[in-house]
Amino acid sequence: MVTRADAIVVGAGVVGAAVAAALAADGRRVTVLEQGVPGGAVSGASLACIGTHMMDEEELPLLAWCCDAWSALSEKAPRFEYSRSGQLRFLKHDGERRSAETWIGIERAAGLSPELLEPEAVRRIEPELTGPIVAATWSPNSATVNPFLAVRTLIDAARADGATIVAGAAATRLVTSGGAITGVETALGRFEAPLVVIAGGPWTQTLAATAGVDLPIVPRKAQCLATVATRPVIRTVVGACKAEGGVDAGYTQIQQAASGQVLFNTVLEGGVTAAGGRDAVPEVDRAFVHDSVDTLLFLFPRLAALDLLRSWVRYEAVTPDDRFLTGAAGPDGLFIAAGDGGTGFVRSLGMARIIADRIAGRQPPFRDDIYRPDRFAERAAA
Amino acid sequence: MRRIETDILVVGGGPAGLSAATSAAGAGARVDLVDAGAAPGGQYWMQDPVAGATTTQSAEGSAAIAAARAAGVAIHSGAEVWAAFPGGEIMAHDAEGPVVFQARSIVVASGAQDRVYPFPGWTLPGVMTPGAGQRLAKLGKTAPGKRIALAGNGPFLYAVAATLASIDATPKLLLESGKARAPMLGLLARHPARIAEAVSLLAAARAVPNWRRGHVVTEALGEDRVEAIRIAPVDDAGTVDTARSERIDGIDALLVGWGFRPMIELTALLRCRHAYDRALGGWYCVASPATGLTSVEGVYAAGEVTGIAGSRPARLSGALAGLSAAAGLGFASPGNEERRKRLVRALASARSFGHELGRLAPPPAGIADLANDDTIVCRCENVTRGEIAAALAEGTRAVAGAKMWTRAGMGRCQGRVCGSAVAEIAASLGGTEIAAAGFNPPRIPLRPVPLPAVLEATRAAGTGETH
Repeated sequence: MVTRADAIVVGAGVVGAAVAAALAADGRRVTVLEQGVPGGAVSGASLACIGTHMMDEEELPLLAWCCDAWSALSEKAPRFEYSRSGQLRFLKHDGERRSAETWIGIERAAGLSPELLEPEAVRRIEPELTGPIVAATWSPNSATVNPFLAVRTLIDAARADGATIVAGAAATRLVTSGGAITGVETALGRFEAPLVVIAGGPWTQTLAATAGVDLPIVPRKAQCLATVATRPVIRTVVGACKAEGGVDAGYTQIQQAASGQVLFNTVLEGGVTAAGGRDAVPEVDRAFVHDSVDTLLFLFPRLAALDLLRSWVRYEAVTPDDRFLTGAAGPDGLFIAAGDGGTGFVRSLGMARIIADRIAGRQPPFRDDIYRPDRFAERAAA
Repeated sequence: MRRIETDILVVGGGPAGLSAATSAAGAGARVDLVDAGAAPGGQYWMQDPVAGATTTQSAEGSAAIAAARAAGVAIHSGAEVWAAFPGGEIMAHDAEGPVVFQARSIVVASGAQDRVYPFPGWTLPGVMTPGAGQRLAKLGKTAPGKRIALAGNGPFLYAVAATLASIDATPKLLLESGKARAPMLGLLARHPARIAEAVSLLAAARAVPNWRRGHVVTEALGEDRVEAIRIAPVDDAGTVDTARSERIDGIDALLVGWGFRPMIELTALLRCRHAYDRALGGWYCVASPATGLTSVEGVYAAGEVTGIAGSRPARLSGALAGLSAAAGLGFASPGNEERRKRLVRALASARSFGHELGRLAPPPAGIADLANDDTIVCRCENVTRGEIAAALAEGTRAVAGAKMWTRAGMGRCQGRVCGSAVAEIAASLGGTEIAAAGFNPPRIPLRPVPLPAVLEATRAAGTGETH
């Protein structure tokens, strides 16, 4: 069986769904190929914070654009629990103030309004945060979304513009002819299109390699925990102040979902990079469970009365500079949008904008040279 | 924190677990048994903490418990297993906090739970599973109602009728989906040792004033609790003829269920191989018929978790797994191999009876379709069949997809109750085999566990707090 479309998007995570929606909105007949279920890999495991705080200085214009785009999507399709809760990042030691102030300076210069709050002011925003922190940064524009419903909303939008979603279609090989992409071979047969966008997270590099495109993406274990549902107790997204140290620095995120479950994770030692582990979903690490519960109860001691309900593990796609690989690569008609680095949810709409604009010959509303998939090869050559 | 090093950890204190523990300890191994119940015995050998052993079944259970203790088995009651981490560590939690077992081998005998499928009105008070009704009767001599309807499939219903009769609460109505008698007689002819038991169970069914075969409950009706039910005929192909439904009034308790599902949470967490057979309760853990060993080294499985077959195979497979686990660790006395061979033969025969019995009366094929669009399927998260159908129509698929888009299976019970139904709904709407719809893979923790207990149990051995 051969199925034809204008464009094929491989992967129905949040990036693939956003790309499909953007291409379908441009009038293209889109087919989305998903090996499992839509949003079933790292998108569904995400704590899906939509924000600009302590992310990446050079990406700030894109991140601000993405925050507005998510807000606009929620106005249009208010069914994915978009909540502009604001974000707190706690400091455990006075030594962290310098880093906090540096980030605040950078973001204020970009027109944003984060600030540094003393514990008393923090508790006015987050009353149950009674643990012995020394201060916290506050970024009022941060929001959260329900990751499952956000993917579903984007897929709905794509379908409304004529896109077809094929779940259970694992892509095995790119098909090319005369230096141009012509389709994708899958477990369910061949799909043909002159445009293919790989938005396959940590599976992207394997598929790209079948067309001779070498992408520096490695999978990294992403883990999370949830308590049983409880009364409204956490109002914001609570994280740890970002230390200097880059990709593998310690990391915390705590929030309460609309379901009432408290979702939380703390990675102190940096992610475990699992070569080839992306296909075998393992359990959470014992040390991860301990550090996460420890941090949660350090900040919110009264939550000690709650039960742990569940945990989950997925693989995020990590690039050497922690930025997406987004744009054209290899044969004519092949595009890449992958490399979430664990914060892909917020950036997904921007990555979709880049793909749709570049395919249509438009200039994206923010710089996209920092995402070029071939940037590492160029650096190596230089 | 309590940390217990042992040769063999048996998880589950029903017939399979107690038999496994006794046989492993008898072979010379150090054995610990962990069980969630207030007292060991499981569902089948349930011990009444107040009245003591008052029936043949509970007396059998108390003898088995005494035998395990006499063999030196350390029994940890009231402890729920919630995690397994690499290296043989099993974490449990009881009223006093966490207890961590470090075992060289594990025998999982986690048993089964009632299998349910949703239908309109099934969330009304007064509607419960036959197993729950039997527990009420066994534990507190409490009758689930005065005018009880008992419905579903298989001879377990007769056993429940017998238990209810023993507390003077004989059901008014017994509804059974199956109606063929000849195959049952054929099965008994091949297993004459089971005839006496069958005769006594049949007597319990006959004592019910209104016994209808070839019928299912299609709806429970009532304002604040069940007051009436609607029933309809079902044919051998499993098609329910709702056009010929009738209403039966004057009901104050409806006990309805479709046999049992193996509790595969721990074996799935341990990554043992599982297979699907609807007549054996759905997904079950695959264990070697010669040893009880699963696909994972050092992990054995016994009893209902290996496929629903009843208490006799549970005892035999438990004894076999316990013996094999002990032998695997070098505990073997001279007569063990002979005993193992006898157990293998007896188990094959007992299992074939249990499995054939299961195949005689599977749940009707279309049973999950009794739910209509506004029937709640996932009771923890209040997800209706209509919501699941919409998600499947909008581009997702299978149990995993339904869970993500509707939250079915994401609540407190983690899909243990609704899992069978969600899989059958996903398969029916997606046009696939039920097995292809998959199941929600269990994750740590297997049961909700207090955060401070998690913190203490996961602390690295020999270190203090980091904060």
